[in-house]
Amino acid sequence: MGMAEALRDAMRIAMRKDPTVLLLGEDIGVSGGFGGGFTVTLGLSDEFGHDRVIDTPISESAIVGAAVGAAMAGSRPVAEMQYGDFVFCAMDQVVNQAAKMHYMSNGQVRVPLVLRLPVGASQRGAQHGQCTEAMFTHTPGLKVVCPATPYDAKGLLLASIRDDNPVVFFEHKLLYGGKGTRKESASVSLGADVPVEDYEIPLGTVAVVREGGDITVVANMLMVHRALSAAEILAAEGIEAEIIDIRCLVPLDIATIEQSVQKTSRLLIVEEDHLTGGWGAEIAALIAERALNYLDAPIRRVAAPDTPLPCAAALERAFVPSVERIVSTAMQMTR
Amino acid sequence: MTHSIIIPDLGATGGDVKIVEWLVREGQHVDAGDTLFVVETDKATEEIPAFRAGYLRRVLAHADEERLPGDVVGLMTDTSDEAIVDPTAASVEPVAAVAATTSVSRVVRRLTASPRARHLARQHNLDLANVKAASASAIQVRDVVAALEGQPVAADWLIAAFRRMVLIRRYEEHLYQLFLQGLVPGTLHQCQGQEAVAVGVCSSLRRDDMIFSTHRPVGHLLAKGASLNAITAEIWGKATGCVGGKGGQMHLADFSVGAMVSNAIVGANIPIATGCAMAFKLQGLDRVAVSFFGDGACNIGAFHEGLNLAAVQDAPVVFVCENNLYAASTHISVTTRISNLADRAAAYGMRGYTADGMDVEAVSALAAAAIERARLGKGPTLLEYRTYRYRGHSRGDPCGYRADEEQRSWLARDPIERVRIRLNQDFGVTEENLGTIEQECQREIEAAVEFALASPEPTAESCLEHVFA
Ligand SMILES: Cc1ncc(C[n+]2csc(CCOP(=O)(O)OP(=O)(O)O)c2C)c(N)n1
Ligand SMILES: [Mg+2]
Repeated sequence: MGMAEALRDAMRIAMRKDPTVLLLGEDIGVSGGFGGGFTVTLGLSDEFGHDRVIDTPISESAIVGAAVGAAMAGSRPVAEMQYGDFVFCAMDQVVNQAAKMHYMSNGQVRVPLVLRLPVGASQRGAQHGQCTEAMFTHTPGLKVVCPATPYDAKGLLLASIRDDNPVVFFEHKLLYGGKGTRKESASVSLGADVPVEDYEIPLGTVAVVREGGDITVVANMLMVHRALSAAEILAAEGIEAEIIDIRCLVPLDIATIEQSVQKTSRLLIVEEDHLTGGWGAEIAALIAERALNYLDAPIRRVAAPDTPLPCAAALERAFVPSVERIVSTAMQMTR
Repeated sequence: MTHSIIIPDLGATGGDVKIVEWLVREGQHVDAGDTLFVVETDKATEEIPAFRAGYLRRVLAHADEERLPGDVVGLMTDTSDEAIVDPTAASVEPVAAVAATTSVSRVVRRLTASPRARHLARQHNLDLANVKAASASAIQVRDVVAALEGQPVAADWLIAAFRRMVLIRRYEEHLYQLFLQGLVPGTLHQCQGQEAVAVGVCSSLRRDDMIFSTHRPVGHLLAKGASLNAITAEIWGKATGCVGGKGGQMHLADFSVGAMVSNAIVGANIPIATGCAMAFKLQGLDRVAVSFFGDGACNIGAFHEGLNLAAVQDAPVVFVCENNLYAASTHISVTTRISNLADRAAAYGMRGYTADGMDVEAVSALAAAAIERARLGKGPTLLEYRTYRYRGHSRGDPCGYRADEEQRSWLARDPIERVRIRLNQDFGVTEENLGTIEQECQREIEAAVEFALASPEPTAESCLEHVFA
């Protein structure tokens, strides 16, 4: 099962078990259509009908706003933005409405919605590939999830749908897998086994996906896979990297990262989001506050530069953090 | 079918609208966009165009008579000899904007030129006696334009339109073939079938007018005269691309011809074009901004906010909606309850017209009128053109959501074939001449692709350039 299928499976299970779960988005349920931007909802309208798999107009603000309202009325909506970049058309509904309703009602109302955002550079340019996690981690009231494997994607999505808070759920386009013409070029092949049954991965957890004693590398989504490739190269140089997949940014399991840093004494953070004000900066600050005395080298970040995302392959390569950049930074830190 | 001609709501303060003159005689053929008659309100003199092609059969309100908005002032039929059906019967659809006695014997008072055509001719010291009306009996703006260029009316304009449309079609098809061979990087949103809208609109624009395009920009850009080489190099992500490789297929531009960077956020260019037009107006310039967008864009907030602002600001902007019936895979009926998107203009006190987007002459006539209105300071217009995209929404879309029959019916109305037949039959342009044009376009396209392929990649450092001015 690839990630697209794993996500679909999660929604199918949630919808079968809970009639209040509904899906909203553009092109998500059209017969003979796409199943959303990246085939994730393909076939769900056949099983659950167009009343629960709702094809909306191109109205991002209304999609999120309606999800907020439906959630307040007791439904569990899962709203899709065709590309994560389009969420900016709906930012008021996300930041001023979804995130704040529970607080503004003094806890009397809940907004259990999931907002699915496909992100990641895939040669479509500045308005179709930004990684924007930090904009949401900075907004109190939103949970922020960003899986790197199909297994995690399914378990985290099930947990997100059942969570009583608004969850912003990032999906990296190059990790969807998928077939034929709708598959993104440069996709990463993920051969993980995904159980068919219902399971949840609790929000607020990270995963140590490779153990090592020399340097801790924290990454999310596509960057986890680049960090794992980098770790192979580093191992050949005699450097053992511990890779932590930070699959949930809010709530953040900083304790596991701290423990790892106490062991390795070095912290490298890899993110596809822009450098300045990124979630990596927050982790760097937290580790500096909690474990500065353990560090043998300055904390480093490998991130996208502070420029919009360019389209050309040659420019995108320069923009998105590469295995080579991770390797060379780790080498500098462990020298 | 009989269509009544109604006085539109002209945004005047109310009260009577006086008919100044009819520019078309009973029995005569009109094209969509041709001026039918001229009216005078307390605010201005206005030309009322036909919404659709057909034959003027009855004039029900004559020169110097006064009527109210909503009154029926004439009747049109689709064919020249069909029976006229009682206009009060429910099946009669309103056609254009204007009153209602039954006198049918009077003919048009005098037949000259439309006020805009007269205005344009005066500006250029052109004697109207030297201008020939191409279709309607009265001289229209495009006749003056043609006369100004010293060319025989219509034929050369139509040949130029044919050339542009062929260039766009052949370019898109060439890219598609290369895409099938895996040779085109990135994404691809193509406009085969929609060429008449781009060409009909842009052929009425000046070089210094600005257009704002979408994720499907090739037609608009080439119609505005953008560099084929620079566009092609951009699609291939080369340093010689129109925006240095930063943009890709969805972000094409040519600032030398007024084509701003095309926008991949649906609807985003609507307020932007509005602001551009507001600035033209504030700066005292007589330039016009055009926003292109699809049917899908009419449902995003930016559309509504942009149109309303443009209306209250009398911004010199023309909103061109290419209604190709689908937003990606979603049919318009799933997302929209009204049948004419142009009706939305009324909500903002703006004029809105729906016309055939497969007929470059109809497109151009209507667009020319809207552009000229904007240029004369009379505010924005919403134009909805019915059209169809022959290929998928984006690369690799097999169109599983569209019926073959629907596709065939639109292919049968191909805008390029239509012009080819018209040039051949009505203007005597030979197949050979048309074939030469096609070959010339093909050579230009192949040279552009060669240019792109031979161009260097952008340097990694250029990724960091131009974040700030
Ligand atoms: C705000 C926003 N939402 C969604 C999209 C994804 N998207 C790109 S084109 C498109 C369909 C647009 O339909 P329409 O406006 O009719 O233009 P057409 O593609 O038919 O030319 C969609 C949904 C987008 N680019 N921007
Ligand atoms: Mg459309």
